[in-house]
Amino acid sequence: MGLKDYLYDIWEAVATTAKGMRITARYGVDPRETITLQYPEERWEPSERFRGFLYNDIKTCTSCTMCVRVCPVDCISLESVRGADKKMVLASYDIDIGRCMYCGLCVEVCPPKSLKHTSGYEKASVDRGELILHFIHEDAGEIKARVAKQVAEAAAKAEAEKAKAESEKPEAEMAKDGDPDSRAAQKDAPPPAGGNPEGGGAAEKKPGEEKE
Amino acid sequence: MMESLAISLVNAVPVLSGVPLWTITLLIMVMVAAVVLTFALTYSGLATYVERKVAGDIQARVGPNRVGPVGILQFLADGIKLLLKEDIIPAKADRFLFVLAPYLVFVGSFAAFVVVPFGVGLIASDLNIGIYYVMAITSLVVVGVMLAGWSSNNKWALLGGMRAAAQIVSYEIPVGMALLPAVLIAGSLSLQDIVRSQGGLFGIFGWNLFHNPFTFLSFFLYYVAALAETNRTPFDIPEAESELVSGYHVEYSGIRFAFFFLAEYGDMFVVSALATACFLGGWHVPFLDAEALPALWGNLFSLGVFLGKTLSLVVLMMWIRWTLPRLRVDQLMRVAWKYLVPLTFFNLLGVSLWLLLFHGKGIPQMIASLFG
Repeated sequence: MGLKDYLYDIWEAVATTAKGMRITARYGVDPRETITLQYPEERWEPSERFRGFLYNDIKTCTSCTMCVRVCPVDCISLESVRGADKKMVLASYDIDIGRCMYCGLCVEVCPPKSLKHTSGYEKASVDRGELILHFIHEDAGEIKARVAKQVAEAAAKAEAEKAKAESEKPEAEMAKDGDPDSRAAQKDAPPPAGGNPEGGGAAEKKPGEEKE
Repeated sequence: MMESLAISLVNAVPVLSGVPLWTITLLIMVMVAAVVLTFALTYSGLATYVERKVAGDIQARVGPNRVGPVGILQFLADGIKLLLKEDIIPAKADRFLFVLAPYLVFVGSFAAFVVVPFGVGLIASDLNIGIYYVMAITSLVVVGVMLAGWSSNNKWALLGGMRAAAQIVSYEIPVGMALLPAVLIAGSLSLQDIVRSQGGLFGIFGWNLFHNPFTFLSFFLYYVAALAETNRTPFDIPEAESELVSGYHVEYSGIRFAFFFLAEYGDMFVVSALATACFLGGWHVPFLDAEALPALWGNLFSLGVFLGKTLSLVVLMMWIRWTLPRLRVDQLMRVAWKYLVPLTFFNLLGVSLWLLLFHGKGIPQMIASLFG
């Protein structure tokens, strides 16, 4: 190594150090370079397509159970009964957000577009039960009982009309048998909306699988 | 100095005349030492906070900002945390040496504060071998670091300790050689004398930094070598958290670790103070003579000036630390032996010849004499 290289080494060391220090000085002095977000006080605005917690608008939900079937991790559970006007009535709709992997399949598949991703993402809790989102706060049993009553009333009315018209008896008998409990409603329900008759606890079973 | 203080105290307060003189001298010494230590510890604490803030700014972060206004009390929280932490001594460690090592490092670092010329009259002890004393006492740090590495009975600690020994021993030579020009110019080893030699009416040009080209270079050589002596990035080979976990103090926790930590910041201050005193004119400022002011104001003013210069150099160290990556072991040795040592020798020779040829006059002095 000649003297020239030796001096060049020294020059290079000084020059590169100065270059680096100029860069760090710019970052150190310029407050605009600070990109840290003071999280609890400041937050990022999530983007439009952010997949946050799921939200189901139960007013537009048709209880079609598409979301339940498509969910890869079985985190959605749904119970419904057929109402007096032949439409499905939701008895319970729970999403275990602790299990959810935010794949978004349920949102894509939802025919009435009632299930949506929100921008929410903060749900720390000490109990996993708190991570289950309940979209219907009323007790499932009460809803079923009420709907069954309505169905029964409707059936009774229909029977009365049919009796008046002197129609066939088996149908009226069947309705009579089913009157006190909700089984009548369950029998009438089509496969997709079936749900488990006593399904309050075993909420995560897919009704579709049972039928198959 | 302490004895004369004690004598004047006895003369001022007649009640004390019954007490032996040496007791009063000792008491004054202890008090002065306590004041210096308190300053050193407060500085170290605040320096850790400033370091974290500087690091945060440079890395586009915020740094500590939760404890107290803008996080200024963070160092107290850290200190309390370190005090309350469990003091762990490894089962297979050499207990005596393990316990001893932090004290050696701490003493080696903080004893150097004794000769730091804070102001016109503010110096704990104006030893006539000031620089020599600093060089000698800071060598205790090497012993402490090696003991810590050895006694931990941990391969990482041992590697760190050995590297620290190699590094500090290597860099002591350029540090000493780079300081010698200031000693040559002042003709004294006392730091207060060295600072006084840089006064005069030239203001900033009385400083040794501008005395001649060799001293100018000497300052930077000293700063680089001293940076290596404090074991900080880019010369933090002994700690090297990414390869040696954290080197010689890997097994230390709680207050013993705090000793190492404080010693590092103490070292930074001592090194910067030496650079200030030897090259940046100590407590001298342009166009104002602190010694001509009334004693109280002169002392306060010179203290402020000295601390301002020194702490700027400390911040510069932090800036360097958060800019440069770590050198490799061979690069470190190469910098010391192939660059710093020859250059400092060359400098020393240059300064000696300069002083011989120009009868001790610096360039500013010669220019000033041209204009009468």
